Amino acid sequence: MNFDEQPMEESRPDGLTRRQFLQAMAATSAVGAVAFTGCQPGHPIQGHEFQMESRVRLAEDVLSGFENFYATTCQGCGAGCGLVVRMIEGRAKKAEGNPDHPLNRGKSCARAQSVVQEQYLPDRVQGPMRRDRATNSWSPISWDDAMTEVVRQLRDSTGQNALMLTGPVSGGRASIVDRFTRGYGATWLTLDVLDEAPLREAVRRVFGQDRLPSFDIQNARYVLSFGSDFLGGWISPVRHNVEYGIFRQGSYRAGQFQPRQGRPRGYLVQAEPRMTISGAAADEWLPTRPGSEGLLAAGIASVIAAENLGDAEGMRSFNTTALRSVQLDQIARDTGVPAERIQKVARDFASRRPSLAIGGGLAGAHTNGSDSLTAIMALNVMVGAVGRPGGLILNPAPALEGIPAPRATRVADWQQAADRMRQGQVKVAMVYGANPVYSLPSLRFNEALAQTPFVVSFSSFLDETTALADMVLPAHLPLEDWGNDVPDPAPGFQVVSWQQPIVRQQYDTRSFPDVLLALGDELGGATRSGLPWRTFQDMLKESAQALQQERRGSVRAPDFERFWTTLLQQGGWWDESRTQPAGSGGPGQGIPANLALPQYQGAESDYRFYLVPFPHTTLGAGESSHVPWLQGLPEPLTSVTWQSWVEINPKLAADEGIHEGDVLTVETPQGSAELPVYINPAASPQVLAIPMGQGHTGASGRYAGRDGKQRGVNALALLAPAVDQTTGALAYGATRARFKKTGRRMSLPKFEGTIPAYQIPGEEVLEVTRES
Amino acid sequence: MMGIRLSLLAVPALLLVGFIAFVTVAVAFVLSRPLSPAPAEPIVFDHSVHVQVAGLDCVFCHRTADQTYTPGLPDVQQCMFCHSVVSQVGPERAGYAEDLTKLRAAWQDQRAVDWVKNHRLPDHVHFVHAPHIQAGLPCDTCHGDVGNSKGSLTQVRALNMGDCVSCHRANNALTECVACHY
Repeated sequence: MNFDEQPMEESRPDGLTRRQFLQAMAATSAVGAVAFTGCQPGHPIQGHEFQMESRVRLAEDVLSGFENFYATTCQGCGAGCGLVVRMIEGRAKKAEGNPDHPLNRGKSCARAQSVVQEQYLPDRVQGPMRRDRATNSWSPISWDDAMTEVVRQLRDSTGQNALMLTGPVSGGRASIVDRFTRGYGATWLTLDVLDEAPLREAVRRVFGQDRLPSFDIQNARYVLSFGSDFLGGWISPVRHNVEYGIFRQGSYRAGQFQPRQGRPRGYLVQAEPRMTISGAAADEWLPTRPGSEGLLAAGIASVIAAENLGDAEGMRSFNTTALRSVQLDQIARDTGVPAERIQKVARDFASRRPSLAIGGGLAGAHTNGSDSLTAIMALNVMVGAVGRPGGLILNPAPALEGIPAPRATRVADWQQAADRMRQGQVKVAMVYGANPVYSLPSLRFNEALAQTPFVVSFSSFLDETTALADMVLPAHLPLEDWGNDVPDPAPGFQVVSWQQPIVRQQYDTRSFPDVLLALGDELGGATRSGLPWRTFQDMLKESAQALQQERRGSVRAPDFERFWTTLLQQGGWWDESRTQPAGSGGPGQGIPANLALPQYQGAESDYRFYLVPFPHTTLGAGESSHVPWLQGLPEPLTSVTWQSWVEINPKLAADEGIHEGDVLTVETPQGSAELPVYINPAASPQVLAIPMGQGHTGASGRYAGRDGKQRGVNALALLAPAVDQTTGALAYGATRARFKKTGRRMSLPKFEGTIPAYQIPGEEVLEVTRES
Repeated sequence: MMGIRLSLLAVPALLLVGFIAFVTVAVAFVLSRPLSPAPAEPIVFDHSVHVQVAGLDCVFCHRTADQTYTPGLPDVQQCMFCHSVVSQVGPERAGYAEDLTKLRAAWQDQRAVDWVKNHRLPDHVHFVHAPHIQAGLPCDTCHGDVGNSKGSLTQVRALNMGDCVSCHRANNALTECVACHY
């Protein structure tokens, strides 16, 4: 191409010729150059490039460009996994599983990975603040003033008029809260929507133990799981996933693949109303009616008893009275699982030993939760799985003394607390790690908090409850704090995980136990005498001293300093030889005689569907929604991100003319919500499934939704306050629902289907077949 | 007609060319000057007292010089390691008391001190202190007689590519591009 032919001179819109343009450019550049240099006489480059910061304190281990690794304990859920965090120049860069830790064996989950993001999240509360109720505005306050005010409020009040509302706390932290509330006389309530109180009750009935058992999935040949998404997020998901890998194909531990020599690949059967990650991984999926899992277990038990397939010793100790009245046809009708299928599962379960029955999660979240889970746990007795490899291993008593037992969340207690607050009987409410305004919307805690003269929150984020507090005293985040944890369930032997501050506190925050110790010191009397430590670290050292004196386990040292250092280096202490002695059985209850279908809120005639709210894989029941990584990670089964959705069955969708992205109004007796549809082949036709975790209305951070713009829907707001009749735990599966079409559509943010599937030319098509 | 237009344009064009030439030379002159005098440090730091009187080794304060790329600037805590006690040594320098007050105030308020950096490398190059120290080069090879310096330091060597390469050649060190440009 000849450039001269281009009609540039005529085409410039400003009327300049090319020559004039170039001249002007040259002149402008020269003037610019003069101006640039002329402004900086003597120093061509100035400003921040010539500044070097001499930090106030440099940790001894800070070496620019070099990394350090520190062990600690994850606080992402209650499992108590060990983490190793990579640090560079004082900053936490990456969290991974602690390879030495017996629970998670070097593996970790998304929540553990995101601790580094939470640590540096800009939405953290950066120092103590006080709220003016009249204007609803926050203003900073010093720790000294804040503590003086809290002490004054606690002195003006009495223990009877004070509430301590916390999330599930464990280890030394629980011990401090327990001692503080007992000393001061305050009522302590813990809040965990996904509380496994029904499973604890079932374990107590069948095995006579207050501790959760360990499920030895890795050595099992056949696992029958009811409602518990043990691979998705249930009680100790990372450990379950590690064991599941071994169960299926062998172990990759220590970089070497060790196949399941001489043992066939494990076989997993999952019974549940909405397919979870565990259901997706299973060989067989049994879609059940919500809340009928116990009946299914009873049906399986009746087949085992009738055909005498059980373990001889197990059957002797098993109470079969209730089984006589079991009608398999009736059970097939109640559960929705055909009788032949129940028989096949029963025969497989009894013959492919070692076999293991797991139950919990949604199966226990019904009015008959404890009874259902009792039936499921009892199956383990029938096939002789208790205390045997590949079965259900009972856990020994914790190695540390003085740690309070896990506290159940009883909805009635919370209801009573809310009522007392509304009636003005509560003068001081202290909140730590709990968000009752969001988690128990039916109890209307927002009104209750408004009637409470002084509410202090120890949250590091302005969640719904904290936003209504009078004062927020932000607590350290997990990477900044001390702590220890006695995992429950333990892996069959004694374990104590240890937590240490591996980053220096980033903002003006304090350790929550330290704040309680300081308050106790100020209050004096029984509160002070119950808390004889200066700092939380002192208390933990005392616990460590007790462990050292045992002279056993993974950490042994003649002197305490060396013991303490090794303990922190390894991230905890465990003694694989300290297991629960064999033969330590319990009451040995079999199938409960009064086992029946649960009661649902909402009449079947009005509400056609069962509402199945399920814990989100990464957001849980809403406690992690402020972390953007966890919001952005696609939910594994639907690949949806940053949003709530309602899952419906494809046949139902076809009948009703519903397509993906159609917005439905889901109604329950408690409330209604608008949700986009995700059509899921693995949702039972009578079920509307909604993930928990979204719909934050407070200022929990920009990523959860704020300023009235909430992200998604709070599934918990649709729930009636139904409870498990035995334990009083929230029965989140006990609500019926219906839907209406709104006629609107929205695009569901998901990864699935963005690239259409296609056949690679020349490649064979793999066909998935059913095992005969 | 044409000639008039040409001459009319030629005068400003020549002026412009001359001006550009002048500016180019001026900019080159400014950029080629050594970096001095440096702006004043927030606190006058007398290296000579610390080295000559107190007898401190360089790595006592710059404690990562032999371990990583940066020699490490001592933290305020390290200053206070001595200066919480040491307030006066030898003949008092004018302004010493004020400087010490500034340091102690920074520690009191837990505030960082922003020092002025006096050595500058060209862009797109990495300099790692550790191998140079480990090879046995004394600090003054590049930094000059810091131990006798009383106030703000000045950069005594060009510390440009020619400077580095000639020293590397003389010491039989690596001269591949990636030795420094990575």
